[in-house]
Amino acid sequence: MTRLSMRVSSVTMGIVSALLAVAAGTWFQVSPPAAYGICMACHGRDLVNWTINRFAGTNLLVADASLVYPVLTTIGALVGALIASISNGEFRWRTPDHPVKTFLYGMLVMNAALIAGGCSIRLLLRSASGELLGLLGFAGMAVGVALATFWLRWRATR
Amino acid sequence: MTPAIATLVIGLIVGYLAQRSRMCFIGGIRDFLLIRDWYLLKGLIAFGLTAWIAFPLLRGANNSFDLPDAVTLGITVLGGFGVGYFSTLANGCPLRQHVLAAQGTKSSITYLAGFFCGAAIFHLWIAPWIARLIP
Repeated sequence: MTRLSMRVSSVTMGIVSALLAVAAGTWFQVSPPAAYGICMACHGRDLVNWTINRFAGTNLLVADASLVYPVLTTIGALVGALIASISNGEFRWRTPDHPVKTFLYGMLVMNAALIAGGCSIRLLLRSASGELLGLLGFAGMAVGVALATFWLRWRATR
Repeated sequence: MTPAIATLVIGLIVGYLAQRSRMCFIGGIRDFLLIRDWYLLKGLIAFGLTAWIAFPLLRGANNSFDLPDAVTLGITVLGGFGVGYFSTLANGCPLRQHVLAAQGTKSSITYLAGFFCGAAIFHLWIAPWIARLIP
């Protein structure tokens, strides 16, 4: 099998995904809300709630962009990463360390992200679009990362 | 229909690039604080700067500098803090977890299960409770 080994730098990834995120909102109707181009949490929420609404007849909240058909960023990212990992020979099953703990972390991150109105990507996107509230959320996120990092280091060196 | 197709294609591209670059929007700050490694932080800064320049060019900017009520402000900062804190403990931002799950990391698959359950839980129980706090 020929391996297509393609390396992408973090800067390239940042620039391309930022352009796509801005273009999604202005050209491809991924709005309102504003600055909604890429958000792993809100788009995941839209997909989950849209599906539940569709099949259980509930009325859970979805963003205006997902009223008719849900946004599919999460599915796209999973498939894109799967294509990348298989074509570069990096796909490998790894067993989980603490399944219950990671399940809880996922739940907590989703809830925190929906309270703040965006995952790490959308908080940065909102800040860049000139929204003060987004910037404050991003600042809170940076403090959270710093505290958790110091806590992990303290626990490792104790 | 347009948003669904557009986000599917954008997701494909972003997922592919994120896998190749190992990009993580939480890991940038973490790696810099921990081992002074700039690699992921450069990606974070590149994303922010590009979006900041592209928004006015494509007329998508918000420019809402008016401060909302204190409760909205408080929960946004607190929510942001939670995203940062728990993502760091979980070893990566939501995008990175999607990428790891697609690479076969089973703990990230469990993470995603919790992630999507969390969305339904939030709108069934947490959101109505928060709505009562906002004046």
